[in-house]
Amino acid sequence: MKGKRVISNWIVLLALHAIVILAGFFAPYDPTEQDRKNPYLPPMRIHFVDAQGHFHARPFVYELQLREGSYDQYQENAARALPLQFFVQGEHYRLLGFVPSHWHLFGAKNERIYLLGSDSYGRDQLSRFLYGGQVSLFAGLLGAGITLFLGLGVGALAGFYGGWRDDLLMRLAEFFLALPWLYLLLALRAFLPLAVSPLQAFFLIIAVLGAVGWARPARLVRGVVLSAKQRDFVRAARGFGATGGYLMRRHILPEASSVLLTQAAILVPQFVLAEMTLSFLGLGVPEPVPSWGNLLSSLQQYSVLVSYWWMYLPALMMVPFFLGYLGLGAGCSSTESRTR
Amino acid sequence: MPYLLRRFGHAVFLLIGVSVLAFVFTVLAPGNYFDEMRLNPQIAPETISALRTRYELDRPLPIRYAHWIGSVLHGDMGFSFAYNSPVAPLLLVRARNTLLLTLTAMLLAWGIALPLGIWSAEHQGGVPDRLVSSGTAALMVIPDLALALGFLVLAVKSGWFPTGGMVSLHFDGLSFLGKIRDLLLHMALPVAALVLSVLPLLIRHVRAAVEQVLDAPFLLAAEGHGIPRRTLLYRFALRAASNPLISLFGFSVGTLLSGSLLVEVVMSWPGLGPFLLEAILARDLYVVIGGVLLSTLFLVGGNFLADLLLYWADPRIRTEART
Amino acid sequence: MSKARANFSLRKVSVGLLVALVWILARPPVAFPEQKSLKEEFQVLPGEVGRSGGRLVVSLRAEPKTLNPLIATDANSNEVIGAMHADLVHINRATQLTEPALAKSWKISRDGLQYTLVLRGGLKFSDGYPLDVDDVLFTFRVYLDERVHAPQRDLLIFDGKPITLRKVDSQTIVFQLPKPYGVGERMFDGWAILPKHLLEKPYEEGKIGQLGTLSTAANQWAGLGPFRLKEYVAGQRLVLERNPYYWKTDAKGNRLPYLDELVFLFVPSADAQVLRFQSGETDLISRLSAENFSVLSREQNNHRMVDAGPGLEYHFLFLNLNDPGEKTPADLLQKQKWFRDVKFRQAVSVAIDREAIVRLVYQGRGSALWGLVTPGDRRWRDEKLPHPARSLERSRALLKEAGFSWTTASNGESTLIDSTSKPVEFSIITKSSNADLTKMTALIQDDLKQLGMRVQVVPLESRSLLDRVTQTREYDAGVLGIASFDADPNSDINVWLSSGGLHLWNPSQTHPATPWEAEIDRLFNAQMYTRTFEERKKLYDQMQEILWDHQPMIFLASPDILTGARKAVGNFHPAVLEPYVLWNVEQLYLRNAAVSASR
Repeated sequence: MKGKRVISNWIVLLALHAIVILAGFFAPYDPTEQDRKNPYLPPMRIHFVDAQGHFHARPFVYELQLREGSYDQYQENAARALPLQFFVQGEHYRLLGFVPSHWHLFGAKNERIYLLGSDSYGRDQLSRFLYGGQVSLFAGLLGAGITLFLGLGVGALAGFYGGWRDDLLMRLAEFFLALPWLYLLLALRAFLPLAVSPLQAFFLIIAVLGAVGWARPARLVRGVVLSAKQRDFVRAARGFGATGGYLMRRHILPEASSVLLTQAAILVPQFVLAEMTLSFLGLGVPEPVPSWGNLLSSLQQYSVLVSYWWMYLPALMMVPFFLGYLGLGAGCSSTESRTR
Repeated sequence: MPYLLRRFGHAVFLLIGVSVLAFVFTVLAPGNYFDEMRLNPQIAPETISALRTRYELDRPLPIRYAHWIGSVLHGDMGFSFAYNSPVAPLLLVRARNTLLLTLTAMLLAWGIALPLGIWSAEHQGGVPDRLVSSGTAALMVIPDLALALGFLVLAVKSGWFPTGGMVSLHFDGLSFLGKIRDLLLHMALPVAALVLSVLPLLIRHVRAAVEQVLDAPFLLAAEGHGIPRRTLLYRFALRAASNPLISLFGFSVGTLLSGSLLVEVVMSWPGLGPFLLEAILARDLYVVIGGVLLSTLFLVGGNFLADLLLYWADPRIRTEART
Repeated sequence: MSKARANFSLRKVSVGLLVALVWILARPPVAFPEQKSLKEEFQVLPGEVGRSGGRLVVSLRAEPKTLNPLIATDANSNEVIGAMHADLVHINRATQLTEPALAKSWKISRDGLQYTLVLRGGLKFSDGYPLDVDDVLFTFRVYLDERVHAPQRDLLIFDGKPITLRKVDSQTIVFQLPKPYGVGERMFDGWAILPKHLLEKPYEEGKIGQLGTLSTAANQWAGLGPFRLKEYVAGQRLVLERNPYYWKTDAKGNRLPYLDELVFLFVPSADAQVLRFQSGETDLISRLSAENFSVLSREQNNHRMVDAGPGLEYHFLFLNLNDPGEKTPADLLQKQKWFRDVKFRQAVSVAIDREAIVRLVYQGRGSALWGLVTPGDRRWRDEKLPHPARSLERSRALLKEAGFSWTTASNGESTLIDSTSKPVEFSIITKSSNADLTKMTALIQDDLKQLGMRVQVVPLESRSLLDRVTQTREYDAGVLGIASFDADPNSDINVWLSSGGLHLWNPSQTHPATPWEAEIDRLFNAQMYTRTFEERKKLYDQMQEILWDHQPMIFLASPDILTGARKAVGNFHPAVLEPYVLWNVEQLYLRNAAVSASR
């Protein structure tokens, strides 16, 4: 039962990531293309029944028109229905970064349709969400991966050997927790030539953030390891002459896996969100590159928060991703406890 | 006792190390406080260089550091360029306000996370677990700032809460109870925003930790002995699961001063948040270093507390410490 | 009903006045040395007569840093200081013209070197101590003192020689200028006259720079402005109270200001300021973004939103034209070859969709710009400056003339290349904290993409940006905004002059790098020492045209000044000069004082 849940969780998570990786196909448009006549266009509603009451098997949307004299108020133009087309040819993109293609899952003839609405430049929010996932999930996994790898290593060492090594490593951890990293990042940005593409600069900064963030998981892991190595079965194994590496691999680290996976499930979204703080300091993903961080940061503006409800949708669509990660944490720890 | 002394020694060592590196970082970061003046057409470049000299920005780092240490020993902790006054009094009055907010939020957050996490672990895969999981996942994607702003919008629309600040303008004229009521009303929204922003992390950890021990043999045995479920969960399971939670609690204490930065800015809470943010952006460097040192103190304290608690809560670690 | 209320308010005003009078009369005369029986010479302000009392609450983005006019440089401190101090001659923020202030009259000698100012009689500082010429002498002595490091000191120095002051009698003073000065009496605006009786001793001890911290005791600080210090609560608020000795009255002879208290709340986030205003906790709001302005405009039940029209802020794109030193990276040298070509700059300028910037960044609440002087600066605008519409064809033609061409990739994307077949790509830096600037840059990026240029937007945090532009000079291009503080060419002196620090494309030059920059320098200096407005205007127009021809700054847009007030606030007339809503704070009043006071 539990195993099944874990597997289905894996499948869902992989499917979600596949959609993001194949964003070029699933997204109808180039995420950076501006449509300056349509800023803050609300999502177009998908209809099956037209104004005359006729049913259409092919779903369609109505064109939205800017109200006279307004900046962001639109109304449906029932005279112009735009039927949704599937597997259409559109803008060129490179699938997975190298397969050139111009097929898109859906689109409409000669007109842009916005199923998730548009942002302040009139860019398609759906396309931005999908492409943004590539940047942000990569950043999240990169940052969380580095942090957890270092955290696990240091924490396990400190907990397993204890004594002065423990003391030293834990003081080092405190040191790392205490330093004002933002300043280091500012300095780092200044030393990077502007010619480095801003996106590369961002990934570099995420990697640095990941590298300096090991202290928290390290402390958590260390606590668990301290306790685990005194367990009867570990002492027994040691008595049978098991080596440190074997003990660590076989008995102690599995104990820490639950803590680690929980950390991972939380760290990935945290790194995705960290970008917003970084943007504020000029260290984030710059325009016009889409990322989840800059999709969310528009929610931090009061005017957007109260005026354009569809700007929440990307946040809503991120929830299943993060639920998936949480599920991994929960699932694995329960399989652990079962096998034990 | 020697243990305490050793920890104290480490703390001093750490503070010195952090302050040195903080100095280095602030020098490495581009720009300095007086740069902004260059954009002001009224200010002559000579005036700016005179100010730089006066505040020793052109002196070598070791000399500045030595002077700063002297100032710390005097209880000034350096000088704020912006406020034209010593840093310590500026920091302390704001740190007090921040602590009031964050302590309340921390206690409340733990008070909510423990039962919710246990509840969700107890009903693994059931409806409560799913509810809690979706709730935490949703909370994770909402940026702190948006959460705080949302609360303020609520305050404006409903009129139930003041829209930020710490006390009303007529605070001084209120009775003692009135003052407390006023303060609590002002605290409600920032505390709620802070609690909600740390809740996902706490709940997930509590849930994971408790889940891991739930089918441990000793708990099954205890259940067999007819010990009531509630006692079982809260007395035995929680204690057995406490190890990572204690480390986490240490962090909670450690981030008391720095964890509420953005919420304070949005809610105009007169704490360290807006003050330090401005100082960071304006390169008011002694203020930043002072802030860093103050939070380091809390961090050291939090970790120390966590270590003590670990020894207390986990008998196995105690046996090792004795050997 | 309304009549009854008006009667009531009148009675209340006169009672208030009576109380004030009695109180002044009752003060023991021994408190002050040489108490003269000079009659108070009030300045009478025209306009709506208000009612006394109440408390006005406004929010500030950050705490003011100091109350000391000698060292204040930030906008928040200046806003507070503006309400506590007064100057000799004042620029009326609404008419943008000078008017008498502490000096009731002035005379300029024929050669333009001598300014004779006559002070109003019987004026007192906010602590009741009388003002005389010695205070003015002291004030300028301190401002001119090099050891004080007053930021404005430079404005009193003409060609290396300071302005000198001479006392004629207890009310008359002569300012002697080394050179005639085109700005005229406008130069007296903004010099807060300081109380000698409080500051002389600390000045002589060399401690005057340390005075005026926010924790200053209220009785240790005095000024000549409508309000005086009452209370400061760290991180929360600064409270000012009515200055009972203020020297202005309304048309009916009631002593101003009307308000009993002026409270500055510190609200560090722009959005939170909006929310506080919306909930009625603050009475005025300014420096609004277009987005927030339209949110507030949507539900105008309790407040009145006013678009005061175009301000003095100009946003522009500039390309790095700094002299290539030895340290300049080869990469930048290559790009500078394009940037130095005036045709390239003109091509960029004409390719930018300014209309889209105004519509998408300012929601239409702004104006497109083609020159440095914004439409808000009504007197100095050069009407002859061309306003060409966006044209990619024109832009392409210019680029072709300059030797650029296009290649087309397999996927249909065309790339602009220079004569050596190098693709044209560069980055534009801008302030990350300013959403408007970032948005503008992203629009420009897209505009230039249509020309085949590959542009990257690099938002940098403000100090890092300044460091690059003014110190290391390692950047390709930038988008920034500057706000003039006065509607006079001289307020942009650092932008115009090649030696200026804000001559951003190539700041602080020792010698003008190009003939046209030399010409601008010459014209600027000429207008500075020319006396009639018409002649200055002619010179200034010429400068604007040179700037247009050479496009070192490619002007983009200027935002409107967006403000709002609760409907209860009377005499609310926002101006486009700072302080936008508080410039007439002495005349602001609350229509229903009782309600506000109980809040």
